[in-house]
Amino acid sequence: MQPRHSGASLLTRVEVKRSISALTAVDWLRLHKVARALCRDAAFQADDLLQEAFQRALDGTRQCARTLDIIPFLAGVMRSIASDWRKARKRRPEMSLVTATGRLQEVVLQVRDHGCVADEVLVGNEEAARLQQAIFALFADDAVAQSLLEGIMDGLAGAQLRSLTGLSETEFASKRRLIRRRIDKAYPRDWTS
Amino acid sequence: MSQNKGQWSRLDRLTETLVDDILASSDAELLAEAAVDEDNGGTLARRAFERASRSVVVRRSRRNTYTPPGRRLAAANIRALDPKTARGWLDAYLASNPETAGQLPRAARRDNTLSDEDVYGMLEALQQRGVLTQKPIEQGRR
Repeated sequence: MQPRHSGASLLTRVEVKRSISALTAVDWLRLHKVARALCRDAAFQADDLLQEAFQRALDGTRQCARTLDIIPFLAGVMRSIASDWRKARKRRPEMSLVTATGRLQEVVLQVRDHGCVADEVLVGNEEAARLQQAIFALFADDAVAQSLLEGIMDGLAGAQLRSLTGLSETEFASKRRLIRRRIDKAYPRDWTS
Repeated sequence: MSQNKGQWSRLDRLTETLVDDILASSDAELLAEAAVDEDNGGTLARRAFERASRSVVVRRSRRNTYTPPGRRLAAANIRALDPKTARGWLDAYLASNPETAGQLPRAARRDNTLSDEDVYGMLEALQQRGVLTQKPIEQGRR
């Protein structure tokens, strides 16, 4: 059994609150952009995801190591929550509500009909494939961006991904940014917008 | 099913890369993007933090409200006193309530042989019965 982290290696709740309170305008903006990106394929709002992440950080449910900057820490918390919420929705077809206090509450609307599972798989599969086609179509004028997208979706990263395109580091960063910006404009809220 | 999962996983990987790009972008780039997009996300994020802060405070105060009076909180407060102060509180109470003092064993009154544990125990009992005047207790006095 592993011992829990000692208090000294983790920020206290007061320190976490102080760190978040001291964020700059661009830090807040960055966090909201991350939340929006994570909410694109989910049925919840960026503000709710952010609020839940802040709450877990403030009440100590999620603890931040002293060696970690607060922004990557909060981004990690949001990733984890978004993943949990997506899984929960897939398990149960139910409506989710966020209360005034920000806690996700679930209201079960109906019991899942297991007979529909096969149909759902087909529909989901087609939907995801259609969405990918639409994303690739955004870059019909840019073969390099399409190649980069293919690599990203195949799970390549870092130098391996960059070598796929033959771009310099700077060019690679610019292309990745271009991809993000076009997707942001085409899908400002979710993959259906 | 795995094919279905695989198709969505490809989109999940794209999302992860977009998030990484946001985290890697410079402040100047993000500010320039926000100016072009008229993005008020920064304000919305700050409001989400304010709501979260209020919510945490409300939940903490609710927890305290629901704690049965005279139980854990009372005991914890009394035990936060240093022994000398606790003994002073008990002496003050006994001085103003001689009938209670009369119930103490004579030896204890005469020789002041009450242990610290006796003193804390008596103060807790008095507090639970609501007869001990509430006084502010400094944190960490003990």
